[in-house]
Parts: sequence; structure tokens; C-alpha cells
Amino acid sequence: MKTTIIKTTILAAAMAMAGHGISRAQQLTGRDIVEKAYNLPQGNDRTSILTMTLVNNNGSTRVRKIKQFYRDFGTVEKNIMFFLSPADVKNTSFMNWSYDSDKPDDQWIYLPALKKVKRISSDSKSDYFMGSDFTYDDLGDRKLDADVHKLLREETVDGIPCYVVESIPKDEDYMYSKTITWIRKENFVGLKKEFYDEDGELLKSLSIKEVKKIDGFWIITHSEMHNVQNGHTTIIKLTDVKINTGVPASMFTERMMMRGI
Amino acid sequence: MLTVFFITVAALQAQVDISGFVRTYEGAKVKDGDFSIVQQTVNLNFEKRGEKVAFKANPMLYYYNTDSLVFRMREVYMDMYFKNFDLRVGKQQIVWGKADGVFITDIVSPLNLTEFLLPDFDEIRIGVLAAKFDYYLGNSTIEAIWKPVFTPNELPAPGSIWAVQPDFPAPPTFDWSKSKVDYNLGNGSYYLKFSTMTSNIDFDVMGAYTWDASPTMHVEKHFAFDTTTMPPTPVLTGLTVTPEYHRLWVGGGSFSTEIAGFILRGEAAYYNGKYFQTTDPKAQDALVKKDYLNYVVGLDFNVGGVKLSGQFIQKLILDYEDGITEDKNASMGTFLAHYDALRETLHLELFSYVGITTPNALIRPKISYDFDDSFNILLGGNIFVGDRDGWFGQYQDNTMVYMKIKYSF
Repeated sequence: MKTTIIKTTILAAAMAMAGHGISRAQQLTGRDIVEKAYNLPQGNDRTSILTMTLVNNNGSTRVRKIKQFYRDFGTVEKNIMFFLSPADVKNTSFMNWSYDSDKPDDQWIYLPALKKVKRISSDSKSDYFMGSDFTYDDLGDRKLDADVHKLLREETVDGIPCYVVESIPKDEDYMYSKTITWIRKENFVGLKKEFYDEDGELLKSLSIKEVKKIDGFWIITHSEMHNVQNGHTTIIKLTDVKINTGVPASMFTERMMMRGI
Repeated sequence: MLTVFFITVAALQAQVDISGFVRTYEGAKVKDGDFSIVQQTVNLNFEKRGEKVAFKANPMLYYYNTDSLVFRMREVYMDMYFKNFDLRVGKQQIVWGKADGVFITDIVSPLNLTEFLLPDFDEIRIGVLAAKFDYYLGNSTIEAIWKPVFTPNELPAPGSIWAVQPDFPAPPTFDWSKSKVDYNLGNGSYYLKFSTMTSNIDFDVMGAYTWDASPTMHVEKHFAFDTTTMPPTPVLTGLTVTPEYHRLWVGGGSFSTEIAGFILRGEAAYYNGKYFQTTDPKAQDALVKKDYLNYVVGLDFNVGGVKLSGQFIQKLILDYEDGITEDKNASMGTFLAHYDALRETLHLELFSYVGITTPNALIRPKISYDFDDSFNILLGGNIFVGDRDGWFGQYQDNTMVYMKIKYSF
């Protein structure tokens, strides 16, 4: 259980605002589009409640609820999550420090049964987050230049003009052979994304169901990841989103991990 | 029972958060099929947290076999939060150090060893009456603890399958008159720790003026003279064994850092003034006082989704003398492999303690499945193997299989 889910749920927000001032697609490469999306302002700090619903292929569901805080300190972004439910993970907390440099993330977890904060490895970006269909990379930790981005085409989906960008990982052993992302031309809001496995077969499909403008920032508040190979689906909803409220630096400490909220 | 009932009623009225679990736990020895444990548990957590104050009460009820009910108030404390410091007062579990499954600087809360090392680690630690003060400086913490009342380790009762009968050379008589530490302000324990969390390394240094949580056995030998020999020779006829607790000074520290995807952990403590049993006939009470060093080095990493962890632990008795009944150097290791499957509903785990100086081991495989988020069933084994003189090998006959079913709420 690790990483920066907050950062990722706002990926579409970044995409949403990337295109201001861009008038002609031919001036943009695939990398340009993704880079602009990554670099858009997202607010200095955020708080939200994240509800993740795991749906099995037989329709049974499991729900995880997390309260999360984020703050950008300039050279480092810090996230802290407090698990509210289910009962067996209640009061567990997780903290991630992500650096602008190539330095790997620092991550810690507090397990109330063990009553101590443990440093954990941030090495497994391809692991699935809490049994969901999202890997840590899917949730936003992936670096821009970990892939080669190519603008494939422009097309209209459900009446919405989009750029279609293909991203091929530089690491040949990566779990995806490629991803294809549909990004709205008008405002660069992500619309959907497809993930292809190592054999080139479609593995998962991400749909952005709802984007809201909150405190001046575009925030994805509802997204769904469907694994087409095993029939599983994960629904992520974001509520109680607050931006630039002045989350204190003291929130991202061992003290708060152990105390909880 | 009444206490739990009244707490529950009061909690419901005060809109206190209530959580916990109900668990059934049955184990049987492989050797003869005898049940090694039949235990039903109710664990209740009552918590209420405000911006400046909080409290927690954690009563636990253990129902053994069909006739024995044990009540434990595992924790009951109050928190006060200030800008730069917190204060926690009451019965509490306190966990220190970076090691897993071994207790190096983790000496504040004593251990419940009535079922050896088999209970979950949150249940093996005994809550202690203490005042804990934490002062915060950015990502660093100064922690000071005053434990006014001494609480010893709990040892297996005579007759338990985990009780070990010491091997005495003559019939012992026990004198329990010194086996308690008086409730007295002068008998408090004091602990101090500085810890810090940085982007490169987490570390802490600690010191303690405390008590040895296990009693020292003072052995007085009684002799008679065999007058059939010339000159008459002394013959050991009996022993008076007086368990007594003694003070200890402890200093140490621990660290944790990530190197290329590996988490490297270390922890060490220097214990000053520990009594060891000796066979030296000139030693008073068959004891000798020595210092010792205890340390652990561990590595955590992931391979193909499997979480792996290994630790090397060593205890070194300094200024060692022949006759001490423990080895000068005693080494052991721990190994953990953990894998989650089926969207983290199926959990496979193998944990083991492996004695190196004395070849023996405790191997703990287990498999558990979450039927849903609140309901888990676990099947496992506790396999004791190796030299019967070893800490684990001595329990070879207690190798068991067990099942736990747990409902969390």
C-alpha cells in the first residue's frame, strides 16, 4: 500500500488545463501534450476523501475509504493518507514524499497493530494499489520521460474532439507494452485511456466519468478502471475536495501518522 | 464482563467510535492431536478524538477452553495535544525500534510469553501504566517516558505446554519473598528517545534506567558432609531459589534507510548490569553480573510481488567468563516471505526464526483468505525443529496446526 493517489486523481485536471493558448495541434508533439498536462498548476495543497469501490466479475463489491492530504513544498511533494475503512485497515496511515529530482520516493506506513511507523520501499510501481485495478504508476507516479509519447491522430469521440497519444515505455520489461490516451482538444481534459499488456493485448480501460472545477482547478471526481481480461472494475470517487486551504507542514510527519485524524 | 458492559453503554451514549474484532482460535498438536489452544476472543476499541484531547480504552476478553475467562484491559489512556508536544497518560503499549519480531530497544512494554512467541505482536506486548511526553521539532521527536510501576514479563504457568522446567542439580525450594517490586516512587523506570525522519534515513537513539523484565534466580546451595570419606566431603543436598528483579541501564538506537529498492534496517542496544547464571562454585548465588550487546541487521525487498525480509540477530556477552550458562555469542536469523493474491484477498506467508549458534527453528507458514472486508479465515502451522537444547527446538513436541476465524467491525 503506497504512493500518491492524490496526485493522480488530479492527472486529468492537469490535462484539463494544459491546452490554454494552444491553437493548432500540428504545433504539438505527443510529448508536448503530456508534458503540459504534467506541469499544470494543481494548487499548493489539497484535502479530499477518496472512496474506492472494487467490483469483481460476479458483481460483488468491496469499498475502501481514505482521507488524504497533499502539499507541494517546491522540490518535494508530500502526501499522507489515513484509511477510514474497512475495519481491518482503519487507522492505518501511509505517507509519500515525491521529489522533483530522480531521487526515488520515500514512503512510510503506520500499522496500528504494530504501533510503529515503518519505512517501505517505493520500488514496485507496477504493484496494484490495495487490490484495485490501478497500479501505483496508473495513479500518477509515472515520470514523463519513462515513455516515448507519439501523437497518433485526432478524432472525435462522442462528439468531443480529442488528441490520441500513444505512450511506449522505454523499459521493455514494463508491465504495459503501450498506453493510448484520449485527451480533449478543447481543454486537454483526459477522456479515456487504454492499457495494453506485454503481448500487445488490451488489458485495461480507464474512463473519466466526471471532472469538476473546484477552487479554480479541474479535478477528476469520478473515474473507472475496467480490466477487460478478468472483468474486474475499480471505481474511484473523490469528495470533500478542498484546495489551497493551508495544510500545515506538520501534517506530513510521523506524529500525524501515529495519531491519525 | 460488567466493566466491558458499562464501558460499552457509556460509549454508545457518548458517541464514541467502537471497533474491534471477534475471533475463534483453535490449535492442535501434531504429535498427539491434543488441543494446544482453544480460545475465543472479543476485542473492543473505544476511541474518541478531539482536536486537543482523545482517549482510548481497549478491553479484551479471552475465553479459554470451556471454563476459563480472562479479562485484560490492554490499553486505557488519555491524550492531550499541544502545539509542539503531546502527553499520553494511562495504560498503554509502547513500541520502539526498527526490528521485526525481536526486542532489542523495544523494552518499554514487557511481553506476555504465556503462549511463547505465538500470539500476534499487538497481543504479545503488555500495556504499562506510564506517562509519555513527546516533544516535536519538525520531523524529529524527543520522547520521555515515566513508568511508575514495574510490570514484568508474563511467563507460562506451571503445567502449560510452554512452561520450561529449569534443570536443577538438587531439589529446589522457592522463596518468593523478593519476587515483587514494591509500588514505590523510587521504583519507577525512565526512558528517553530522540528520533528523526529524513528523506535519506530514519534513526533514533535511546536510553533507559529500567528493570530487567525477567527475574534473576538467586540460588543458595545447601550442603551436608559425607563423613564416610576422609576427609569428609561436601554433598549438595538442596537449593533455595529466590527470584528477584534487578535494575538495568540500557542504551541503544536503530535506523532504517532505502538503498536501491532495498530497505536496510539496524538496531542495537547495550545492556549494563545483567545477571547471568553460572556454574562457577565461587560465584555468589550462582550469578555473575555482566554487560551484553544485542543487535539486529535486516533487509526488506520485493521480488515479483513477493515481500521478502531477512534479519540477523546476535547477542554478545562482554567480559565473558567460563561457567556462564549462556553462550558468549548467540546468533539467530528471521525470514519472512509474504504474497497477496486475488486482489489482496488471499494472503500467503512464511515466517521463521532460525537459531544459528544452536541449530533449531520455529517455522510459521500460514494462508488466509478475506471472504469480505470484515471476515477472514486463517490456517497455519507452528513447526518447531532442531536441537532440543535450543529455544525453539525444546518445543518440538508442541508443533501444531491451527485455525483462526476473525470478524472485524
